[in-house]
Amino acid sequence: MLRATIDADVFREAVDAVAALVSECRLHIDGGGMRTRAVDTANVAMVSLELAPDAFEVFEASERALGIDVTKLKNIVGTVNRGEKLMLSVPEGGQRLNLAFQSYQYSLTLLDPNTIRKDPNAPALELPGRVVLEGARLTNAIKAASVVSDKIALGIDPEARAFFMEAEGDTDNIRFALGSDEVESLSDVRARSLFSLDYLKDMAKAMSRASTVEIGIGIDHPVRFTFEIANGKGRVVYLLAPRIEAD
Amino acid sequence: MEFAGFAEVCERLEALAGRLEMRDLIASMLPGLDDGELSVFIRFVQGRVFSDWSPMKLGIGPNLLYEAAAYVAGRRKSDVVRLVNETGDAGLAIEHVLERRQQSSFFSEPLSLAEVNALLTRIAEAAGPQSQQVKIRLLRQGFGSMTPREARYFARLVLAQLRIGIGEGTVRDAIAIAFEVDAGSVEHAQQALNDLGEVALLARSGAGALDRVSIVPFRPVRMMLAQQGTIAEQLADYGRVAVEYKYDGSRIQFHRVGRVCRIWSRRLEEVTGALPEVVESLDAAARGDVILDGEVVAVGPDGRPLPFQAVLRRFRRKHGVAAARDAVALVPRVFDCLYADGESLLDRPLVERRSRLEGLLDDDYLAPQEVLESEDGIRAVYARALGEGHEGVMLKLPDSPYTPGARGRAWVKIKPEAETLDLAVIGAEWGEGRRGGHFGSYLLAVQDGGRLLPVGKVATGITDEQLGELHDLFRDLVVAESGNAVTLEPQVVFEVGYAEIQESPNYASGYALRFPRFVRARDDKGIDEVEPLASLETRYRRQGSRDGGGPG
Repeated sequence: MLRATIDADVFREAVDAVAALVSECRLHIDGGGMRTRAVDTANVAMVSLELAPDAFEVFEASERALGIDVTKLKNIVGTVNRGEKLMLSVPEGGQRLNLAFQSYQYSLTLLDPNTIRKDPNAPALELPGRVVLEGARLTNAIKAASVVSDKIALGIDPEARAFFMEAEGDTDNIRFALGSDEVESLSDVRARSLFSLDYLKDMAKAMSRASTVEIGIGIDHPVRFTFEIANGKGRVVYLLAPRIEAD
Repeated sequence: MEFAGFAEVCERLEALAGRLEMRDLIASMLPGLDDGELSVFIRFVQGRVFSDWSPMKLGIGPNLLYEAAAYVAGRRKSDVVRLVNETGDAGLAIEHVLERRQQSSFFSEPLSLAEVNALLTRIAEAAGPQSQQVKIRLLRQGFGSMTPREARYFARLVLAQLRIGIGEGTVRDAIAIAFEVDAGSVEHAQQALNDLGEVALLARSGAGALDRVSIVPFRPVRMMLAQQGTIAEQLADYGRVAVEYKYDGSRIQFHRVGRVCRIWSRRLEEVTGALPEVVESLDAAARGDVILDGEVVAVGPDGRPLPFQAVLRRFRRKHGVAAARDAVALVPRVFDCLYADGESLLDRPLVERRSRLEGLLDDDYLAPQEVLESEDGIRAVYARALGEGHEGVMLKLPDSPYTPGARGRAWVKIKPEAETLDLAVIGAEWGEGRRGGHFGSYLLAVQDGGRLLPVGKVATGITDEQLGELHDLFRDLVVAESGNAVTLEPQVVFEVGYAEIQESPNYASGYALRFPRFVRARDDKGIDEVEPLASLETRYRRQGSRDGGGPG
């Protein structure tokens, strides 16, 4: 059972963060809020989302895993005006998620959770490098890099005390560095890993509005992006596996 | 069974040269599989995702496959295409790309055989405007969870070319050995069920279950086939033959229960929707629940048959059926009855099936038949057939049962043309000059135990109009390009005439055709029906001591 009311913008942000990587997911609901963890089709990128009960104006739920067609949900939620309230409900044992807003009543058929990939276990990662910066700065750098290449290196240069991103294309390259005074926090640990911009571009859209994004990074290791949504009442974590550098 | 285990079996089979070793290896695998795995394994090992008569189609071309594999490997599609060009094999190319992947992943969950089957089923079921995205996502998911070796066989399976040389006969024999049942019982059940996966399940429960299998309406049965022969030989060996016209049309199998009618083509594709007047004609003319075998011919305003191509155009049509129906009238000519009122007639002799047929079908659509003993009498029918615009005559043995899918001396075709071969089209070269922008010549192949071996190229006999039609037919089948030549996904069968078969070191089959000439594209035939190498060898040997091919 689910009965919840939430600001449409907050919910849209949450749905978009998941939709950036997957087209369906298992959404776990219970008294502790909403949670999902999902991996993209190629097992390269992972998203986990948590929304606490106080992210909602009303939240009542009994424990259940809902099979969600994320693409459809994104399209529906995308039509709600800013500032509107969105009412979500699933009756006990019901097979549909009802969405009510303005004068609309959507009814979204739930997927059988058994047909959706099992929730991935979060890999145990040692990511010693840590950078905290404004979401928009990160997003802009990712956009700039995708003009010249399809991959980007993220790293920390401890000597220069700087977080850097560099992208090498066939003919052009771009380098972008932020000193410790330009970010909120930076650890002095050497780090550098290469990532596909295809995935980063999708993640960047969701991160652009975050006031800060925490980046965990290592040497030829995955990257972890952590940021808050719903005014601190929710959290998104992205993990992205690195590219293997060709010799 | 894990899909990795299946891939390992494939690799071992690929390394074996002998049919008996292959059979024994497959037989040794079957008892250990559970029921769900057994039928999937049986289909997959033959390079089939679905049973012959299943309407399910994956709807995945080579490009979609390359794109998905490249995505998972973090490589470009052009890298895959380049490797396909180098290796000539999408499976090897994709295996190679995944061995050198440039994108790491968090984990890879091994897929079971059943999970791969479920994945492919979901790919086939994806429909609607988003279906391509859904299909590619599922393909990525597959490749994302596979080792490079698994991906080699997965890719080949998706393209329906497993390239391990396993034919149906080998699998049939393996089933018989694995479950200790008679090979004849396996064959009997396969004739009725047309799905060796299901047959294997029955074989597991014993020979009795196989023997009880009978044909049922709405599950199409493979059509009985005819081989080349001569009037003199048939009379000398059998004395009496049933003579029918050989129609220049397309085979159909008509099923009816109550007022529900359905029609399948020679390749067991359902064509009920494309042939409304045939449904109406037979529905009105037949009595009781039946399965009928016949030919559909196109008739011009003068009542004479129109060429085969006119019939095929109707079979292919999915839209605008009503308009097409006005342009070309199709008439059924029924010559056999496989099932009547709850009873299979497959094992009954032809004469008995014929008399049942005459009792339950109005004369209008009944193909005429005469049982004759004299060569002169047969020649007279043959002359009349040609005079009326038909292809020739069929000589059938009055006592013979109906053997689905089998080609033998029970049915022999007599026609005047020079001999032709049905060959797989596996490649093409871009044309020059007047043929610029089209394929100017096509590379042809015979089959040998699941492999396709080149036997030469054909360029003559193709009209300007056909050049365009053929180009449209092959455009989406290009899997690789190298210079002027393209590799084609083998899906189309050409009927090709020739003056002589010669031994040749230039082609992998060991033979080449002298003066090959394009006759027509055989849309009604599948790749598994192209000329086998052994049969080409027989033709080659017979050339020297030809006892008069033709109607002699």
